[in-house]
Amino acid sequence: MDYRKAAQGVLDHIGGASNVASAAHCATRLRLVINDNSKVDKAGVESVEGVKGCFEASGQLQVIFGTGVVNKVFDEFIAISGVEAGTKESAKEAAAQKQNWFMRAIKTLGDVFVPIIPAIVASGLLNGLLGGLSTAFPSMAESDYYSMINLMAGAALSMLPILIAISAAKKFGGNPYLAAVIGFVMIHPNLVNAWSVASMDAADIPVWHVFGLTIQQTGYQGHVIPVIIAILFMSWLEKKLHKAVPEMLDLFVTPLVTVLVTGVLTMTIIGPVFKVVEDYILLGAQTLIGLPFGLGGLLIGFVYAFTVVAGFHHMYNMIEAQMVSQNPPANTWMPVATAANVGQGAAAMAVAFKTKNEKIKSMAFPASLSAFLGITEPAIFGVNIRYRKPFIAGCCGGAIGGMLASLFGIKATAYGVTGLFGFLITTGFWVQYAIVMAASFAVAFAVSFITYKDEEPAAAAAPAEETESAPEQAEPAPAAEAAEKAAEEAPAVSADVKVVYAPVKGKAIPSSQVSDPTFAAEALGKGMAIIPSEGRVVAPFDGTVELMYDTGHAVALASDDGVEVLIHVGIDTVNLQGKGYHVHVATGDRVHKGDLLIEFDMDVIREAGYDPVTPVIVTNSDEYQDVRMRIPVTDGEEVLEIC
Amino acid sequence: MKTFKYVITDPVGIHARPAGQLVAAAKKYASNVDIELNGKSASAKKLINLMSLGVKQGNEITVKVEGADEDTAAAELEAWLKANL
Repeated sequence: MDYRKAAQGVLDHIGGASNVASAAHCATRLRLVINDNSKVDKAGVESVEGVKGCFEASGQLQVIFGTGVVNKVFDEFIAISGVEAGTKESAKEAAAQKQNWFMRAIKTLGDVFVPIIPAIVASGLLNGLLGGLSTAFPSMAESDYYSMINLMAGAALSMLPILIAISAAKKFGGNPYLAAVIGFVMIHPNLVNAWSVASMDAADIPVWHVFGLTIQQTGYQGHVIPVIIAILFMSWLEKKLHKAVPEMLDLFVTPLVTVLVTGVLTMTIIGPVFKVVEDYILLGAQTLIGLPFGLGGLLIGFVYAFTVVAGFHHMYNMIEAQMVSQNPPANTWMPVATAANVGQGAAAMAVAFKTKNEKIKSMAFPASLSAFLGITEPAIFGVNIRYRKPFIAGCCGGAIGGMLASLFGIKATAYGVTGLFGFLITTGFWVQYAIVMAASFAVAFAVSFITYKDEEPAAAAAPAEETESAPEQAEPAPAAEAAEKAAEEAPAVSADVKVVYAPVKGKAIPSSQVSDPTFAAEALGKGMAIIPSEGRVVAPFDGTVELMYDTGHAVALASDDGVEVLIHVGIDTVNLQGKGYHVHVATGDRVHKGDLLIEFDMDVIREAGYDPVTPVIVTNSDEYQDVRMRIPVTDGEEVLEIC
Repeated sequence: MKTFKYVITDPVGIHARPAGQLVAAAKKYASNVDIELNGKSASAKKLINLMSLGVKQGNEITVKVEGADEDTAAAELEAWLKANL
């Protein structure tokens, strides 16, 4: 594909370079912070070649291109627009100002834990490797090689508070080296190792008596929240001091006071209090996953994808970090997340197999593969959410897989890795892990495959039923005066049939009976007309408003599978200049079948001397073999078949 | 490529019905026919594109015709516009 063209296309539909506050990209998406959202034409962006979806989340306009493509489009985008390339962080930060405090807090947690994932992955993989080798060769566990590598495998996890402190300081704007010092203090070798505390008599643990408090001299191994809070405080204090202390003393006073005050507060208040808070959060997560019969896994597996959409999933990094920093590491969350991700991937894959629409197919297939490797956004946002049922199907798969993961008690040794790569950090649970993924895949794929339909449910899934029902509608209908082109001989319904539902309640007539020669001759395209009985125009399918006239007398729409329809309310009614019409959607809006588009007052139209008959025209009918009319018409019934 | 300009005199502009007629007229030719207004361009063979230009009375449109039969097409379309719009 032409990356420059794609970048230019995006730029054209978002109001140009001047409307871009900052630009960045992640593994799959262009992440843009937009100054004025009203200038963004999302449908236009989605129509650009290569774009797999476009949505607003976390205060950013996110344009999905997919792995390997997005970075190239991004380079072109920067080159063309002259927008300064932001890091993903700066785009996130600019966006964060638009969010509420709760979402900001959750995002902050994500921002602290994501940068240290490489360290966790290295440890986790080393752990997995050692576990695998010593299972295969028991003598291995006795060797010095094992001992040496084991030291490395444990290092990052047992010193985790230091890594978190550095990362948090970068996030909060504190000095990372001072933060590291606070981290060192919290796991100082002179403190009793937190992991040993459980096996000790409380009386044997040394204590300090300070400020009237009795403080146990225990370390913070395996704790993350106290560290984050301590560094949050430290960064705040340090910044205040930089301002307050005269410059010539700053170099001495600020670090001294920062470390002293933060250290004392951490040991006496912040640490003990948030240790308890954290223990409850961890206990809660573990209890939830450990609920009998796998119910917790079932529940989390089901709602997981919803939380990804809401952006809550950043929080899970923290829970997983807590879990891996237990001794031994026991991340029971990750297998459930894997189940949820694989479920979404499988649901998207089922769509890819079932759809007849090449565009959807070409989008759904790669999206599903990337979900199996742990990147779910293309599948969730690009495919599943759009068609809704696949999303729920994916959640069902996630629920079943999550339940099994919870029943098996699968424990991972790291976080930040899911899907197929998860095998690398689930040594000892390979069979169970495979079963979890297989079950999640099977359920989500099956449910999605059965429920997903291209555009028209009955036509695609049950052609037999459709051919039976068509004549049923045709025969008893006394409105058969309209039946010229109707399905008197039950049409052989193929899966390719697309359907337009009645946009207006009333009586259906063939175009030839419309008084206006242009419509009667079907010069604008094949179709039909409705003599309205009610002044409401609704969307005849899921699609996009291509053009809404200011005057409200006509609207053009395109369905998701490419049918373009013009609904023209009344003949010559352009002359009313909007009088009697009330517009409910705007050009570019996405609409679902049945959404109200226009309200109109038939009396006003008649009194002005116009005919309110409403032609419904497939304007691109020359792209199809045939457009057939059906009889009904009540609001929301099928009126046109297009094939 | 042949290009000509035309000022719309029809009081409702290139609205649905005239647009449909123009599309029908343009489709008779093998050439690509594009209509430009204020820097926006639309194919005269695509109804919705054409309508979304929002051409009103008094607007000056630029018609670009390019293809094998561009000479005839441009001449006949200009005549058609004068007669109908």
